Amino acid sequence: MGQPCAVIGIGQTLYRRRRRDVSLDGLVREAALRALEDAALTFADIEAVVIGKAPDALEGVIMPELSLCDALGAVGKPIHRVHTAGSVGASTAISAAVLVESGRYDTVLTVAYEKQSEGNATWALSGGRSGGQGAGGTFAPWIREYIRRSEAPEHIGWMVAAKDRLNAVKNPYAHLNLPDITIEEVRRSPMLWDPIHFLESCPSSDGAAAMVLAAPDRARRSPRPPAWVLGHAKRTELSTFPGRDTVRPRAGVECAAALYDSVGITDPRSQIDVAELYVPFSWYEPMWLEGHLIAGEGEGWKMTDSGATAIDGDFPVNCSGGVLSSNPIGASGMIRCLEAANQVRGTAGDYQVDGARVALGHAYGGAAQYFAMWIVGSDLDVL
Amino acid sequence: MAVSDIAIVATAQTPAYAHYNGPEVQLIMSCVNRLLDSTGLHRDGIDFTIAGSCDYLSGMPFAFVSNLDGMGAWPPVYESHVEMDGAWALFEAWSRLQVGDIDVAMVVGSGRSSPCNAREVFHLQADPYAMAPLGLDPDSLAGIQARALIDAALTTEEEIAAVVVRSRAAAIHNPMAQVSGTVSVRDLMAEPYDMAPLRAHDIAPPADGAAAVIIATGDRARALTARPVWIRGIDHRIESHHPGLRDLTDSVSTRLAAAGIGIGAGSAPAPPPDVAELHVTHAHEEIILRSALDLGDATVINPSGGPLCGNPVMATGLIRVVEVADRIADGRAGRGVAHASSGAALQQNLLCCLEGDRPCEGVP
Amino acid sequence: MGKTNDVDFTLEYPYTRTTGPVIGPWLTGLRDGRILATRIGDRVICPPVEYDPTTGASTSPDDLVEVGPGGVVTAWTWVTEPTSKHPFATPFAFAQIRLDGATTTMVHAVDAGCIDAMETGMRVMARFRDERRGTVTDIWFAPGHEPVTPSTVDPGAEPVEITEHLIGVRIREPLFPFRARFAQGLLEGRILGQRSPADGKVHVPGRGYDALNRVPMGPEDDVEVADTGTVTSFTEITPIQYHGQTETEPYIRCSILLDGADTTVGGIDVRHIPVGSFRVGMRLAMVWRPESERDVSSIDNRWSALPAGAYERWEPTGEPDVDPELVEDYPF
Repeated sequence: MGQPCAVIGIGQTLYRRRRRDVSLDGLVREAALRALEDAALTFADIEAVVIGKAPDALEGVIMPELSLCDALGAVGKPIHRVHTAGSVGASTAISAAVLVESGRYDTVLTVAYEKQSEGNATWALSGGRSGGQGAGGTFAPWIREYIRRSEAPEHIGWMVAAKDRLNAVKNPYAHLNLPDITIEEVRRSPMLWDPIHFLESCPSSDGAAAMVLAAPDRARRSPRPPAWVLGHAKRTELSTFPGRDTVRPRAGVECAAALYDSVGITDPRSQIDVAELYVPFSWYEPMWLEGHLIAGEGEGWKMTDSGATAIDGDFPVNCSGGVLSSNPIGASGMIRCLEAANQVRGTAGDYQVDGARVALGHAYGGAAQYFAMWIVGSDLDVL
Repeated sequence: MAVSDIAIVATAQTPAYAHYNGPEVQLIMSCVNRLLDSTGLHRDGIDFTIAGSCDYLSGMPFAFVSNLDGMGAWPPVYESHVEMDGAWALFEAWSRLQVGDIDVAMVVGSGRSSPCNAREVFHLQADPYAMAPLGLDPDSLAGIQARALIDAALTTEEEIAAVVVRSRAAAIHNPMAQVSGTVSVRDLMAEPYDMAPLRAHDIAPPADGAAAVIIATGDRARALTARPVWIRGIDHRIESHHPGLRDLTDSVSTRLAAAGIGIGAGSAPAPPPDVAELHVTHAHEEIILRSALDLGDATVINPSGGPLCGNPVMATGLIRVVEVADRIADGRAGRGVAHASSGAALQQNLLCCLEGDRPCEGVP
Repeated sequence: MGKTNDVDFTLEYPYTRTTGPVIGPWLTGLRDGRILATRIGDRVICPPVEYDPTTGASTSPDDLVEVGPGGVVTAWTWVTEPTSKHPFATPFAFAQIRLDGATTTMVHAVDAGCIDAMETGMRVMARFRDERRGTVTDIWFAPGHEPVTPSTVDPGAEPVEITEHLIGVRIREPLFPFRARFAQGLLEGRILGQRSPADGKVHVPGRGYDALNRVPMGPEDDVEVADTGTVTSFTEITPIQYHGQTETEPYIRCSILLDGADTTVGGIDVRHIPVGSFRVGMRLAMVWRPESERDVSSIDNRWSALPAGAYERWEPTGEPDVDPELVEDYPF
């Protein structure tokens, strides 16, 4: 088997609707330099770089590794670029982990970003045409179908929306800062794509996220605690075909099963201390709790309703505020992965879950058809 | 950590079509089906799948998602995608198999260039502040690079034309080629300039097409084919994006990648490769790459005709791997080097060293 | 009757770029008639960079110094046929230019008139457009030694922090054969699908292949399906405004499983049925536009929706609803 891999440096930018103060180079450097500083390393210590982002058309720059390689200290090194739609941030983290696990590289920098304010995501999702339905329009019918199947009460989505925004108040990087948000306010916000209200939707953000990943020797010499990558999994399925279950996609179920199996998790709800799930629309919290085998079918919304997913619950979800609070699309999946690492390193600040030793980072993309997940731990043998 | 033995066990490519009147999916599907047929594998026998393509070339954000239709993704598959030439997908697949827990991977590269003007698309690769607003496309930068090479007395327009003459003659034997034929340096020199000092024939015509390979670890590779083609090394490096910060007359990143796989300067002495397939989309690049790779007359360069005779963008680099692997698998070569490039003026370069179980039995 | 046509579409967006602490002052300088470079030790780099290209260390706006406006061509190419993205419509040179005072070159356009006017080592001089807005195309170069004083700009103008770039890629190609048959069918009042030779499932519209079984499908696989069907999913869209968006009012988008089909047609536009009475399982029939008014020009090779130009509207058939559970396998 490959050599173990650890997260030894984490860097994030401030997430904002528009980062007026930085160029694209400046944006990715802000995250990369913070990750290097966290790991007490410099660009000279990095052997390979992996970057990720969603479609090039979001910024109108093709193959941006070519124009960003100087800014990321990659000249003379390998750099490659991952693109797996919304799951890309997590896919990029996994690709970088694979470079370490392969034994070929001991210190890898990975960076994911999106500068959404340069273009327009709904335009891109619409292929540049009028009348696009956007991500919300695509997911709304599936959410409605989930509600029908599970008989979930309508306040579940409002609860998630308020919970994640209140968590974000504790996160200095978060885009949205809504300390006074209430469930009632979510309910009263405009209906965008029935049944999705405005406040149940993710914002559009500029931002970048970075990690330094390292082999055991380097990780053990690192000044701050490493987060060990205990396992990762990815699964993909076709977007559309007769009989496809878009509410509980088989790729998501199999991705989770493969991940848990690879690290010896038999009861995810009790063995995972905290999770960062990709929840761009509030209902995806219960949908992924079920779709990733954390709750039984029809039971996900009951977990949310009981407060289990709150920061003081038994299965906290999105303590950082999640995608609902910051959404630089290409980076959003990497943020889930690095926030999971923050929790097991004990570096999550005001939204730290006490004693977190095993954490799940997750992202999905496309028509809920791309899944990328990883489990990090405070020790290699924590499970 | 010891590098595991990983081999190419099957290859496929479509012709380089000037215009393929159908979806990219069909190009991919034909390659994938051929790979499965030739190995006898079922789709679920592939542990990991990874593709390379370019959304912008397809004219639609998220275009790569529909390419899944050609690769087969039901039941769900373990899969990834790079927004790069398929050769970089091979790099990630090779890295993934090195981890040791899975054994078989499929790699795809595909693109359809015909619906758009490639120059108008790929100027968007350039720095978005100082270069892209000028429309500075890769062919323009190639013209500047060719001039720098000529000014440095490292080549001549005649020598550049000779690359085309040899490539087109070689392509006569390649049924996948888009252009081929017998031409003379004198004929070519009489043609008008395009991006002077480059003429139209010095620049690879963008095409539609796809390529794919299956790779497997040691024993699985031997079980899947009688003629595994071993990947002895794979590495890639990038150099500065700013032409003013580079020596355009050299390919420093190719030299670094060569050292990374132990075939360049400073490596242990080894016999020269029998064959090299180089990602030459502008004829003068062959001269730069020969020098960077220290290739002499003992190595046959681009026996397929190379990208100058067939350039399905996003598959072109992976096709270099296919062409070398095919020659090793059928005994025409014992050892070879495949090269892929990305960006303008050879900014980023990948090398893959391939070797068979037996020495060269013929002429590449 | 309408006709089918080739695809001619431009994927286009007016991007806005924030320029940051180094590129911003550089572009501001161009607007104000000065060319700036970054000094790092004894190197002077133009265009300026936010970081030391050797070490990756950050540079600062304080490192900016003025260079040019004259310089030397160190390499060049003659662009015989400019693209629509190039700064000149007639032949010109792209050149690497080492500006006076700089230690590296920048690439820019030289308006030299003809190729014979170009040679390596020649002197060129920056020319500033009269109307400048803080972009690299505010300048170009011309052969010669004599500086030309740039026109003055408003001395009180704000520093350049955001630039706008209309970026478009034009796509032109014939309709794929199966798309052309689908479009022609609509003009003739028929909805065509393709029946998979592998499993008999009918795909509407046909995509030229069956992805589940990885088999191509051709004209021999074409079948006609009904213009009536069952709603499998819907969304009420509140249009988000973006470049090119023409929708302003909420409307329904739904997917319908046409009778005789095994895949849904998506993107069906519904404006005549109130959202409160719209349901999954509802039976609808397509009301065709008169043959003379049918417009299938929106059909291209990338989007598989049924074009709104083919129908007036969809109307309830009056049949009882289909049990939603029977269509839950088609929620796309």
